[in-house]
Amino acid sequence: MPVPPSERDVTIRLVVNDRAHQLDVDAGETLLGTLRERLGLTGPKEACWEGECGACTVLVDGGPVASCILAAGSTSGRVVRTVEGLAGAAELTTLQQAFVRHAAVQCGFCTPGVLMVLTALLDDVPEPTETDIRQALAGNICRCTGYQQIVEAALDAAASVQP
Amino acid sequence: MSVLGTSPDRSDADAKLRGQAIFGADLSRTGMLWAALARSPVAAGRIRAVDSTPALWVDGVLEVLTSADVPDWRTGVIVSDTPLLAADYVAYEGEPVAIVVAESRTAAEAGARAVALDIETAEPVSTPEQALAPGARLVHPDWNRFAVAGGADIGRGGNVVAEVVHDPGDLDEAFAAADVVVEGTYRTPRQYQAHLEPKMALATYESGRYVIEVSHQYPFRLRDRVAQILGVAPSTVRVVGHHIGGGFGAKLDVSLEAFAAMLARRFRRPVRMQHTALEERLVAPCRANAIVAVRSAVRRDGTILATDVEIVSDSGAYANNGPALSSIPMFVFGSIYRVGTARIRTRNVYTNTAPTGAYRGVNGPWLVFANERHMDAIADALGRDRRDFRLESLARDGDLMRNGQPLSEASILREAFDRVDELAPWRDIVSRNRAQRDIVSRNQAQRDAAARSSQPAENDADVLRGAGQAAAIWLTNPMPGHATVKLNEDGTATVITSATENGSGAVATGLRQIAAEALGLSADAVTITMPDTDATGYDAGSQGSRTTHVVGRAIADAASDVRSQVLDRASQMLEAAPEDLVIADGAVTVAGVPAASLTLGAVAQAATWSDGPIAAGASYVTPTPPHDPACATGMLIKGWPTPTYHLHQAEVSVDVVTGRVTVDRYVVCQEVGRAIHPGAIAGQIQGGVAQGLGFALSERVDLDHGRYVQRTFKAHGLPLAEDVPKVEMIVMEHADPAGPYGAKGAAEPPIVPVAAAVANAVSDAIGVPFDTLPITPEAVLEALEAAS
Repeated sequence: MPVPPSERDVTIRLVVNDRAHQLDVDAGETLLGTLRERLGLTGPKEACWEGECGACTVLVDGGPVASCILAAGSTSGRVVRTVEGLAGAAELTTLQQAFVRHAAVQCGFCTPGVLMVLTALLDDVPEPTETDIRQALAGNICRCTGYQQIVEAALDAAASVQP
Repeated sequence: MSVLGTSPDRSDADAKLRGQAIFGADLSRTGMLWAALARSPVAAGRIRAVDSTPALWVDGVLEVLTSADVPDWRTGVIVSDTPLLAADYVAYEGEPVAIVVAESRTAAEAGARAVALDIETAEPVSTPEQALAPGARLVHPDWNRFAVAGGADIGRGGNVVAEVVHDPGDLDEAFAAADVVVEGTYRTPRQYQAHLEPKMALATYESGRYVIEVSHQYPFRLRDRVAQILGVAPSTVRVVGHHIGGGFGAKLDVSLEAFAAMLARRFRRPVRMQHTALEERLVAPCRANAIVAVRSAVRRDGTILATDVEIVSDSGAYANNGPALSSIPMFVFGSIYRVGTARIRTRNVYTNTAPTGAYRGVNGPWLVFANERHMDAIADALGRDRRDFRLESLARDGDLMRNGQPLSEASILREAFDRVDELAPWRDIVSRNRAQRDIVSRNQAQRDAAARSSQPAENDADVLRGAGQAAAIWLTNPMPGHATVKLNEDGTATVITSATENGSGAVATGLRQIAAEALGLSADAVTITMPDTDATGYDAGSQGSRTTHVVGRAIADAASDVRSQVLDRASQMLEAAPEDLVIADGAVTVAGVPAASLTLGAVAQAATWSDGPIAAGASYVTPTPPHDPACATGMLIKGWPTPTYHLHQAEVSVDVVTGRVTVDRYVVCQEVGRAIHPGAIAGQIQGGVAQGLGFALSERVDLDHGRYVQRTFKAHGLPLAEDVPKVEMIVMEHADPAGPYGAKGAAEPPIVPVAAAVANAVSDAIGVPFDTLPITPEAVLEALEAAS
């Protein structure tokens, strides 16, 4: 039986964590699947597959996106950053260091997504209020921490990069 | 300098923050197969046929197995009632019926969807009330053929999985002598753990042994359960633990692992399984829904003469640990407040719903909800201030719990009431709330008087405010643990244990600090292993806040032995008596002679090549507290070891227009024995309160004819960052002589009193009792409507 056009593979070119890739992806493949299965980037987590929990969040062209509901085929030409691309092999970013100091990591499964959302927030709003931070996290479920230490880490990170 | 009471960095923080930490759900293996389960789409019914053919047509599917192809015995933690695959009938929506093995995950899942199940649907036993109704259909017609572990008499019969009865007998007399009889029925729904990482398993079979790689809270139980299911010796199963993406009790028993192990042997290839998003919702071992009816005989002076408690909790289709949890009411009623002579009956019943199980603070949130709502009801009936009434009713040192166990430190709870009042004085709050109530009624009267009132509201006129308190005494799980401590040749130490790090930091910080303290090291000089049942002694896993207390004690004992070995070797090297040596800051020094000093590394090196490497192991299990074995029938948990003490105080605003409840202030006073890592304790309190607020106000797990209504993450109403206030905390320390440096458990109990404190506050705010959870805006508006 011939494969209908909608199910054919798609060739995409995208930049992930500063490296260019050309990949053949399945028509129904999610960006999360591409990152985890094809590129071995298991930092973005698969949890709800509904775009509700935020554990799969990556930055696409600088903005946070739930990669579990984004078609990989639609990401050609985009620049993607995952949690692995925040610090690379260098020392932790200011935000990541604040997470360590504030004990903002517990089980750590939501952490990759939370970091991406807050990284994007701090890029846009260098001096966020607590309300800004809590609103930015509206798409990230953390079942462990009750959010407080995450919020405090973000405030601290913002304060520590101010002149 | 002591490392206790400081908050060093978690050993896993860097890997988790870089996305490098490999969780169970990140595992893969070259050449692995995937398997997926075909599950019952109905809550109850007779299996007429299972047609595998459509699944076998799916590209990549290798085999479909049904009940005829797998072990046909039933197993369980307490009651052996659970088949590996349903054979004759299905008992809940989501029960496994067939398993599909394929070359890829996509193919396995597509195959599982394709299996054609022919099931003659039956009317499900949907609720505990239906299960107990006369003539109810039996969820398991053959219930009396199911074996019970150890042959224990747990009061089973028909749809009753377990019954615990404490009946001292003379209640009628007390009720006859009462000035007031106060009755209440308290209903709570299920609560979904909502750990983010789905359940998974990766199994291989090599040289006659099963190796299971998993993220699991209790690897040794998993080893034993897989062995029980497969009918093999536990020693043929090795469980290797990886980072756990949350569990909260949901990852304490077997789920997919036995299937994967069986298939790994059958195909001699690694087999990987993982729940889909829907499977996570359908088969999570939620906190049981429960109905608690309390009736108290009270004298005008506030003395509670007697209390009659009747509890029904929903086990779902299989017993799981429900029979054991049915003992817990015995440690709540009469342990916090003096409730007079108490009769307590708890029945755990089968229904055609997904089996319930362990969730942080097992049974506690709904038992304390009932106990504390009832205290408010009695205070209201007597016209007494609710805090005064609590203080008068508090259990005293030396009082006996209903199991006969003495409450040796009950006065800690009185101290907690004082400490909370210093921070948030009750009388001020009550009078402020009363004033606000008057303003709201005046405003309403004004509006009623003039529909087009031009008078501005006096202040936030549609907001009523209320306050509530709830107290708890919670246990530290006593189950066994073992640790080996070795001093490395570079002067660092390694702790070898299968204690599991579920996120709390108990392993990633607390246990390392305990070893560091004993050996005069900094916390970052201590590494700790991941779980491996081949490589370590038994450990009872991450449950009931036991890790810091039980495993910490084993580590402290082992480290003490290591210290002796260090002192022996160093005393020879330094030519000084062991009692004159001091171990601190990574060195052994002759007291008062700073020059006569050796690094721990030098001592370890010397020891390794003379006496042999320095290492020691130790075991610990908390002894069962003294109790009366005849206090009740059907009790599997006999005592309430290493209790900790808790008082929560909530202040809420209720918007009478929208029905929305806002938690304005939340104060926790928690006794922890000794705070090893204050940052981790704060995280547990804040996180536990957040889960408790969800249970109180927003989380929904509804059942409709046995089937879950909520099937997505979003539908469950989990608290988000904007919903959770900063919790104010008072941490009290009353060192436990048996604990490592005095530490007791701390992680589990912050969830326990939350729903009770919040429900008391909302009831206070609007003057309508809230005895059913959750208190959603719709429920508030309905209550206001009914009251007006």
